[in-house]
Amino acid sequence: MTHTGTVSAVRPQRIGARSDFVQRYSTLVVLVLVFVVFALTVDRFLTAQNLLNIAQQISMLTIVGVGLTFGFAAREMDLSVGFTVGLTGILVPLLLINGVAAPLAFLAGLGAGLVVGLVNAGLVTAMGIPSLIATLAVGSILLGINFLLTGGRAIYGGLPEGYLWLGQGRVGGVPILAFFMIGAVAVAWFVMERTIFGRYIYAVGGNQKAAELSGVKVRFYRAASLVVCSLFAALAGILLAARLGSGQPNAGERYLLDGLATVFIGMTMLRPGTATILGTFFGALFIGIVNNGLNLLGMDTYVQAIVKGVIILIAVAIVSRTTKLTLL
Amino acid sequence: MDIRFDGITMEFPGTLALDGVSVDFRTDEVHGLIGENGAGKSTLVSILGGSLAPTGGRITIDGREVRMGSPREALAEGVAHVSQEGSLVPGLTGAENILLGAEPRRAGVIAARRLRTEAAALVARWFPEVALDLGQPVNLLPMAERKIVEIVRALRGDVRLLILDEPTATLPAREKSQLWQIIRSLPARGVGVVLISHFLSEIKALSDRITVLRDGQLIATGAADRFSEAELVDLMLRRASGEGPAADAGRRREAGAVAMRVADWRTGRIHVPAFEIRAGEIVGLIGLTGSGHFGFARSLYAPAGVTCGACEIGGRAVALGRAATLRDAGVALVPDHRMENALIGEWDLRENLAMVHPEHAALGAGILSRRREEAEAGRVMQLLAVKAHSSRQRLTTLSGGNKQKIAIGKWIYGAAGRYRVMIFIEPTEGVDVGTKSEIYAEMRRLADQGVAILIASSDLIEIETVADRVVPFHQLMTGPEIARPQFSEANFIAAMSGTAA
Repeated sequence: MTHTGTVSAVRPQRIGARSDFVQRYSTLVVLVLVFVVFALTVDRFLTAQNLLNIAQQISMLTIVGVGLTFGFAAREMDLSVGFTVGLTGILVPLLLINGVAAPLAFLAGLGAGLVVGLVNAGLVTAMGIPSLIATLAVGSILLGINFLLTGGRAIYGGLPEGYLWLGQGRVGGVPILAFFMIGAVAVAWFVMERTIFGRYIYAVGGNQKAAELSGVKVRFYRAASLVVCSLFAALAGILLAARLGSGQPNAGERYLLDGLATVFIGMTMLRPGTATILGTFFGALFIGIVNNGLNLLGMDTYVQAIVKGVIILIAVAIVSRTTKLTLL
Repeated sequence: MDIRFDGITMEFPGTLALDGVSVDFRTDEVHGLIGENGAGKSTLVSILGGSLAPTGGRITIDGREVRMGSPREALAEGVAHVSQEGSLVPGLTGAENILLGAEPRRAGVIAARRLRTEAAALVARWFPEVALDLGQPVNLLPMAERKIVEIVRALRGDVRLLILDEPTATLPAREKSQLWQIIRSLPARGVGVVLISHFLSEIKALSDRITVLRDGQLIATGAADRFSEAELVDLMLRRASGEGPAADAGRRREAGAVAMRVADWRTGRIHVPAFEIRAGEIVGLIGLTGSGHFGFARSLYAPAGVTCGACEIGGRAVALGRAATLRDAGVALVPDHRMENALIGEWDLRENLAMVHPEHAALGAGILSRRREEAEAGRVMQLLAVKAHSSRQRLTTLSGGNKQKIAIGKWIYGAAGRYRVMIFIEPTEGVDVGTKSEIYAEMRRLADQGVAILIASSDLIEIETVADRVVPFHQLMTGPEIARPQFSEANFIAAMSGTAA
């Protein structure tokens, strides 16, 4: 190995305290501002009922986003999550309707997620296919399977009450889904921030070469990040069907792009450039608040889509001035 | 044409890459440019090629002062640069690469047939003796022919001076002669060549004149037949008088038991018949760039692709199977280029230190205790005298020397002395003088605790300062070892150029 041109221009990197704050918290400040503006201008926005609605609306999105965060932290992208959501959102209702006991059906759903994750991980780490491509192809395959399983029709009728309660019920006014979301965020945060597993996922994403030379089993952690990603998507799918009261072959698709959006917004805050669990959670909250506020104002979903796009661009633009955002 | 550099200086923040270099380049010669890594060769040709603007000095062409602020401006003056990495577009054919950006068009569409004939005409004009298949995608061509395609493209304009940066570095030996002939033929065709290569034999064979750079200064320039290879090595490496080794970092003890022994060790084209290192000793590996000392040192930690006759650590035979075998047996590596190979810039010091042995601060089940992490990180930082206000500081806020201490500290954090062989590659690159001696003292301290220390370095003064004995590399093989009483720059240089008695 030769290294010519060893002129290492040591640029003094003194980032002032103020710009550091701007970098880390600007997106959160904007989030709070948006919240305040809605609270002051939109009638039914600042009510306990509505805030709980927001929590319910973003719960599946957050769970998918949390899974994607594991992938991004290790610099792996999973484009199959939306179809994994769809797969388990079909499989579990299908099993339940056919009389399979609920615990078994849930395990089968998570097992399907595990299989998808292992396939993704195998393609990426054993065969060396970039995750972007491997998961795109797997997503396409899953889409086909989803339609084959359902014949393109929704699966509904005869779903057990208990299952529907998971997606639609409340305890003391708080949606059950919100508990799942909080649980997923809490567990994922703990794993990423407080365990060796999480530390090594970040190490692989932060500097793969250094991780490898430090003895980190890079391939294992890259694979694990993809498996975790699929597992969270599988959970979201199970909950989604319960919320909708039916299994629909294309219900999961929007979770891919929205899920990626939560991670991107999250990467603009707290530790700019790095995907973090809390960042993703706030990213989902951001999208949820904006959608909800615009809804109450009677705006079309098209307008919501435009606003969402603009928010992502502004958040990323602020951070890109000082931090280089690299995804893969 | 005569391009003259007059007192050219290039200052980067904290580094003087070129220090008042005066040299001239002509169109009727091959001008060899040599020097070890960091000597300033790349900076010099970057200025010549217009991609760097010097911070001082003048450039004149035939007496007329010029400013070459970009590669385009340099090209307008007749200077073209063929970089080391190669700049061909892999999927395109030779013809398409040769005329890249200057394709003949008809009605806005590339005229494919004319492109073929024009490219073929260019090749025939410059190198009629060469038969190139210009219809092949370049990635399917032999390496030498790819280089020729690149050279022809560079010669497309009205070029009088061609910079070739390590043109044969990636070439298999049997393809070199073809490229050598091409290079030799250029001055007769009115194009001067500035040739950078770390193969001294190649420089000797091809150049009319040779210029030697060291630490940003021009050391010698003159007709090629004036220098022998040994003299060139000497010029590249010898320090100015008075710049002797630093004070001995500590007393020396008798070396202990053999810590690591390998026999018939092969990695890539490097072959080491036998090597051993004992507990408590510091062994230096020296060699010219590309002579194999770095590759050998690295392979002792990461033995991917190594075959060996025997490998023993601490008297026990080790089978090279998994990548982690040697680390598990107690070998540590502090690699060169620490920001690429050892550290994570956005992490804080504690997280970086805990990269190898995070389990030290785990409460069980892989759950990390911040308190324990900070305590251990604090201990290591105090031991190594890292200048930082807390272990929660971001790594990028540290100076080069303190970053290097963190890279070393990774193997002390939570290691509880399990590493009996520590390998350092270029341990003080980009480290200030004061911190250098602290790092040497730390190596000595580790050696005194019974660790075997191996240092591969291109800094001969460093080797002279800390090593107990030296194993020189020459042409991918080990030479006869040099014991401390025989340490001298002259002896090192002789061994590195293969001219030792």
